[in-house]
Amino acid sequence: MDYDSIKDELLAAVDSALKYAKTLDPEAEFEVFVYFNNSMEAEIEQGVVTAKDGAIAGNTVRAAIGNRVGFACASGVTTDRVKMSAKEAHEIASSVKVEDDKFEGFCDPSEPGREGEFDERILELGTDDLIGACVSMTKDAKTVDERAKIFSASASASYGGYAIANTRGVLAATRFGDNNCSINVQAIKGEERRSAFSLDIARNRLFEIEGLGQDAAEKAVDLLGAKKLDYTGKMKTIWRPIPAAMYIQASLGQSALGRPVVEGISPLSDMMGDTIAHEALTIVDDGQKPESLGTKAIDHEGHGQMRNVIVEQGVLKGFLFDNYWARAFGVESTGNCTRGGGPIAGGTPYEYSVGVAVKHLMVSPGEQSQEDIIDSVDGKGLVIDGFPLGIFHTNVATGEFSVVANAVYLVENGELKGSVQPVSVSGDFYQGLKNIAAIGNDIEVLPWAIENPTLAFDDFTVVG
Amino acid sequence: MLELLHDSVEKGQALGADFVESRYEDLTLRTLQRSDDTWKDIQVKSRMGFAITCYVEGVSGFSFTPSPEKKDVLEATERAYRMAKASVSAAKLKLPFDERQAVTSKPSDSLRPKIHPRDENIDFKTDLVNRCVEQAHEYGENIRNVKGLYGELYGKKMLVNGDGSEIDWDFLVADLRIIVTSRTEGGAMVLGYEGHGGTWGLEKYKTKGFTPEDMGREAGERATEQLEAKACPAGSFRALCEERLVGVLAHESFGHLSEADFVVAGGSPLTDKLGKRLGTEHATIIDGGVPDIEKYGGLWVPFDDQGTPSSMTTVLDEGVLKHYLHNRGTAKKLGQDPTGNARAVNFTFPPIPRMTNTYVAPGDLNEDEALELLDRGVYAIQTHGGQVTGDGSFLFKAIRGYWVEDGEIKYPIREVSLSGNILQLLGNVLGATEELQLFSGYFGGCGKGDQFPLPTGLGGPKVIIDDVTFGGESQ
Repeated sequence: MDYDSIKDELLAAVDSALKYAKTLDPEAEFEVFVYFNNSMEAEIEQGVVTAKDGAIAGNTVRAAIGNRVGFACASGVTTDRVKMSAKEAHEIASSVKVEDDKFEGFCDPSEPGREGEFDERILELGTDDLIGACVSMTKDAKTVDERAKIFSASASASYGGYAIANTRGVLAATRFGDNNCSINVQAIKGEERRSAFSLDIARNRLFEIEGLGQDAAEKAVDLLGAKKLDYTGKMKTIWRPIPAAMYIQASLGQSALGRPVVEGISPLSDMMGDTIAHEALTIVDDGQKPESLGTKAIDHEGHGQMRNVIVEQGVLKGFLFDNYWARAFGVESTGNCTRGGGPIAGGTPYEYSVGVAVKHLMVSPGEQSQEDIIDSVDGKGLVIDGFPLGIFHTNVATGEFSVVANAVYLVENGELKGSVQPVSVSGDFYQGLKNIAAIGNDIEVLPWAIENPTLAFDDFTVVG
Repeated sequence: MLELLHDSVEKGQALGADFVESRYEDLTLRTLQRSDDTWKDIQVKSRMGFAITCYVEGVSGFSFTPSPEKKDVLEATERAYRMAKASVSAAKLKLPFDERQAVTSKPSDSLRPKIHPRDENIDFKTDLVNRCVEQAHEYGENIRNVKGLYGELYGKKMLVNGDGSEIDWDFLVADLRIIVTSRTEGGAMVLGYEGHGGTWGLEKYKTKGFTPEDMGREAGERATEQLEAKACPAGSFRALCEERLVGVLAHESFGHLSEADFVVAGGSPLTDKLGKRLGTEHATIIDGGVPDIEKYGGLWVPFDDQGTPSSMTTVLDEGVLKHYLHNRGTAKKLGQDPTGNARAVNFTFPPIPRMTNTYVAPGDLNEDEALELLDRGVYAIQTHGGQVTGDGSFLFKAIRGYWVEDGEIKYPIREVSLSGNILQLLGNVLGATEELQLFSGYFGGCGKGDQFPLPTGLGGPKVIIDDVTFGGESQ
C-alpha cells in the first residue's frame, strides 16, 4: 500500500468487512479495525549488519451481543482473513455465557482530530540510507575516546495507517510515519563496563545523526571510574529528562488511566480537584500536537484524538479514557483508546484488546536550568540518568517503587563529583510528586510518548 | 505449506544466496481475563505468516509476509536476498556458517497432551478461571480486586532450509494465573499471586497444587498474610531465593549475557571468559529446549527457528563458564556447536539467540538445612520480573517474603527489590536445595530488542546467596 492511497484501501477493507459481519447477525454490534505498517530497519552492532523490512498487516473484529463481547484478530488484511475474524468474534460472543456489565456498546461517531505532520522524504529512505546512517554514527562515536569500545547503531523508517468501522456509524482512518536513529556505546576499563545512548526520532523531518555518536560515547566514558556511594538513607535525587520521563510514565502515566481509576485500584480515583503534586507541576496529554509521534486523527476505536489536562499546578484535573472506561465512569472518551498500548508498545496493535494509554504527555517546564538545580544542592545529592531498572515493575496501587539507577553522579554542595556505582532508589511515587524540589527548563522530546524536563525530588531512600 | 517453503528456499538460492531458511507458522492464541465479576478479555488470535532469511557472505537479510500466496512469499524471499546483498559491503564482522546434515522432524517431536486446549470448548476454560477467582474470594480478606487469567498458544511451526531440513512440529503452552489485590488498614495495596503455565494439556489443572481451587486459595491466603506484612529492611543481607525468583535470576541476569550475539559483538561481560571461574561450585546454570517436562514442567522447544535440534546446554558448570547460547553463525565464529537457541518471537522477526528453559541446577540441601544456612536474612518469594543491563547489573522484584533469624521464619515482608551485579552474585552462591521446578507460560515472556513476548521457561531449586542488596524503606 502506498502512503497516498493507504487510507482509501484500509477504509474499503473495513467497510466491506463490516457489511459481511452484519450478514452474520443483523442484531449484533460489530467493530472492525485494520492496521498496516510498512517498516524498514537496519542495525550495525560491532560490524555485524542486520537488515529487515516488511509490512505488518492485521485485523481485529469485535462483536457484541448485548453485553457479551467477542474479540478475534488475525494477521493479514485480505478479505478472507478479516471475514475469519468476524466469524470467530461473533462465535465467541454468541457461545460464551459471560457478560461484561460495564459494556455499553462500541464508540459513537465523533469529530476526528488532526493527523499530524509527516515529511514524505521519509518514504524515500532505503536500506542503503539506513545502513549509511549507522556507519556514520558509529564512526563519530569511535573518535571520542579509546575506552569507548562497543558500538551498536540502528536506524529505521516506517509509514502506515489504520481504519475503523463500526455498526454505530464510525468509519474513519488515519495515517502515521516516522524515522529514527540511535546509537548505544559501551565504554570499558578493566572489568568495568558502562553504557549510554543517544537518539533522534521525528515524523516531520528526516532524522539527524549529527553529534549523536559523540554524545553517547562521551556519556559512556564519563560513567567509568564509578566510586561506591557507601550511604544508606534519604537523599535529594535529581532525575534527568530520560529517567524523569520514566518516573512520570510509571506513576501518573498509569494511575490516571481509566481502568485503574474505575476499578478503584488507582489512589487517584477519588482525588479529582485535590492537590496531588507540587504546585509547579502541570501535565497535559496532547494527542494533537502536530509534530509528536502520538498524534493521529482518531484513536484506536475511531474517536477523535484530543488535548487533555491531567494535572494543573499540582491539582488533579482529569483522567484519560477510552469509550468503555469513560462510560463506566459516566464521562466522555478523551480519545485515548490504544491497542497494545503503553510507552513501549509492541508492533502489532491489532493483536491487542482496546485499552487506555497516554498519547503524548507534556510536562511543563520550570524555570531552573539543570546546572542551577545541581548548584542548589546542600550537602550530598545524586544526579540520575539513563533508564532506572525496574521502574515499570511498580504497582500502580501501592505507588511504592524501588529502582536501580545505573548512571548516577554524586553531587556535593552544588558540585558534580563524578560517577558512582549503581544505587537503589526507593520511595512512594505519589509522595514523590508532592516532594518535587525543582523542575528544570530543559525539556526533551522523547520517543516514549512524553516530553519533559529534569525533576528533582527530596527524600527518596538511597542504598548504595 | 512445506512445498511453498521449498519454493522459497529454491528461489533464494537461485538468486545467489549462500543459504536460505524459510519458516511458516500458523498459531492460535487464546486469552481469557476476568477482573472481579467482569470478563475483560475473551480473545482469539490467529497468527499466520512466512518469514524468510537469506544469507550472503555471512550477512543476513530478512523479510516476511502474512500472505500465503506464492507470489508474495517469493517476493519476500527476493527482498530478503536484496537486503543481505546490500548489507555485505558495510559489514565488518561476518558470521558465515557451514551446512549441516539435513534434519527431518518426527511426529514424536511434538508433545501430545491428554486434553489439548484445541479440543476443549471455551466454557471448560472460563470455568477454570471462575473457580480460581471464587476460591480466592473465599480465602482473601479486604479484597479490592481479583484477576483470573487463562492463556493458550498452540499451532504449527514449519521450516525448510538450505541444508535440506524439513521440520514440522506443534508448539503448545497453556497458562492459568490468579492475582489478588487487598488493601491494608493503612490504605496500602498488597498482592497475593499464584500461577502455573507450561507445555502441557489441561489435565494438568486437575492435579494437586495445580487445581483452580488450590491456586485460588494460595493467592487468597497470601494476600491476607500480606495485610500484616512489614516492609523489608533496606541493606545487604543473605537471601534464600525461591524457585521462580531463582529462575528469573538465571534468565534475566545471567542467561542474557550468555547469548552469543552479545558475546560476538564483545558487548557481554562474558566475552573471552570461557573456562574462567565466575561463581562458586554451587552455581550451575543450564539452558535447553527439551527438559523432562513431565517431571519438572517448562517449555517444549525441540527445534529452534533455524532448524537446529535443541540440546541441553550447561552454560555455567559448577561456577566455570563452559558454553554460550548460539545461533549457527555465532557458534561457528566462537568455535562451538549450535545449541538450538535461534528463536524468533513471531514470523515478523528473524531468529536471534534467545533462551529456551534456563535454570539453576539443584543442590543437596533440604528445606530445613537451607533455612539454617540462611540463618539471618530474607526468604524472597516469587517475582514480578526483573531487568538487567549489559554489564550484569540487575534488579528483581520479589512479590513477597519472610524475614528470617536464627534459621527461623519471623514475619512476612512486603514486595521487595533485590539488586546487584550478577557476576558478583554468582560468587556469593552458598548452596541450593535438591528439588528442581521449571515454570513457563503464556503471559509475560521474554523481551529482547523489539522481540517481545517470547515464551521461555525458567526455574531452579531454592538458592542461598550471600550479601544481596535489598531496597525498601530505610531502617
